[in-house]
Amino acid sequence: MTRQAPESIEDTVKSIVAAELRTDRSRLEPHTHLMKDLGADSLDALNIAIRLEEAFKIKIPDDAIPNFLTIGDIVKGVQQHQAAAAV
Amino acid sequence: MNIRRVAVTGVGIIAPLGVGRQNVWPAILEGRSGISRIEDFDTSRLKSTIAGVCREFNPEQFFDEREISRLDRVSQLAMAATGMAIKDSGLCNGQLDSYDAGVILGTGFGGQRSIEEFCAAFFANGAARRSAIAIPKSMYNASSSNVAIRYKTRGPNITVSTACSSGANAIGQAFQLIRYGHAERMIAGGADAPITPVVMDAWKEMRVLSTKNECPARACKPFSANRDGFVLSEGAGILILETVEAAVERGAHIYGEIIGYGSTADASHITFPDPEGEAYAMLRAIKDAGIETDEVGYINAHGTATKLNDASETDAIKRVFGDRAYQMPISSTKSMLGHSMGAAGAIEIVVSILAIEDGKIPPTINYEERDEQCDLDYVVEGAREFPRGKGPRIAISNSFGFGGNNAVIVARELAV
Repeated sequence: MTRQAPESIEDTVKSIVAAELRTDRSRLEPHTHLMKDLGADSLDALNIAIRLEEAFKIKIPDDAIPNFLTIGDIVKGVQQHQAAAAV
Repeated sequence: MNIRRVAVTGVGIIAPLGVGRQNVWPAILEGRSGISRIEDFDTSRLKSTIAGVCREFNPEQFFDEREISRLDRVSQLAMAATGMAIKDSGLCNGQLDSYDAGVILGTGFGGQRSIEEFCAAFFANGAARRSAIAIPKSMYNASSSNVAIRYKTRGPNITVSTACSSGANAIGQAFQLIRYGHAERMIAGGADAPITPVVMDAWKEMRVLSTKNECPARACKPFSANRDGFVLSEGAGILILETVEAAVERGAHIYGEIIGYGSTADASHITFPDPEGEAYAMLRAIKDAGIETDEVGYINAHGTATKLNDASETDAIKRVFGDRAYQMPISSTKSMLGHSMGAAGAIEIVVSILAIEDGKIPPTINYEERDEQCDLDYVVEGAREFPRGKGPRIAISNSFGFGGNNAVIVARELAV
């Protein structure tokens, strides 16, 4: 997959989170927290990481998952991992 | 040791004939069949294409979309049936949210659907959807743990897996915990959801499933000479157990008492049944109940409709009851509900409890031809009255599992 524009990444991230947590996309803002705002647990976070890895062809290390808990952080994290993968 | 009497104060049932005792019990007494053609997956390579699917069970009525995604069908069945049983018992959360309340559930196949999904994903080498939920969704104790999480029961939480006798052993173990003072209230029963392409194919190779596909409702013919195997089904049966004393004190409706439990192993062959092991399970349950064999007024048979089971069970009943076996009403509700594996024993104990409470004995349907090896009274003409003998009505429920695991429960009308 080629590098995506941030808006496109955010769009995909929102689709994944909305689908995994069975929630409405309109609830998802950059500051929305998966656990505090959407009631996700650690298993949901892992499932979202799997979907992100598949969608963006990236590898999210175990210790990076705690940084993937708000929509904004997830978008930033995906960009960083894509950049790292491209080096 | 102080031995306490154990009451059944709530029942929950989900079966191919419907959801809830209000729907299932009248259908059983009418002799209706819950067996139908499998429509959920391709059956073109199977010899048996029929099953007892719980089509009336609509998970959306019990769970939100997110819960459904995280619960295997077996957990959904167990939790929904538990909800009905608790509501029926009138227990409130304050009485369940306790270290004195526990859960013992039986299952033969556990989260089989989920296991198949994640195996398929694994063998697809990354081409299919992976999941972090696979283990917690498919593990055998998921149902009993999910029930405890929902109702906050903090006492014993145990999963029993003894194939077709799982549900009966679970109820027997829970009965003992209350009887001997190790718990005050137990959610006990069984659930199974084994109707999957892989399981159907595996049973096919054992040649024990009925292949009378042309007329699903008439396929399962326990004790009939032209029987050709069991029909796989799914479901859940749950009882709420507590002491008779506590139930009377809180003014609860008491369906009946569990008064005896017998558990044996054939210790002979992994699938071939042994009437001696089965007979001993009945004898031990009757002895445990402190009754005589002539007080038993009804046997809910294991009655799978395989050639071997029905002949062996009939032999075992004769060994226990002697000449009286010929006067004993015996019926197989699997003729209507199919064989729901780890749920079957629990569902049949629910049925036995309803029989003693309602005073009606359910029939064995689809009986057509007399078999010399099966020459007892199988209640083939339709439901009949369950008269009181010298004392209160007493029923026993037989469950005999692959592995030679036998479990028998004795239930009695509440003795005042």
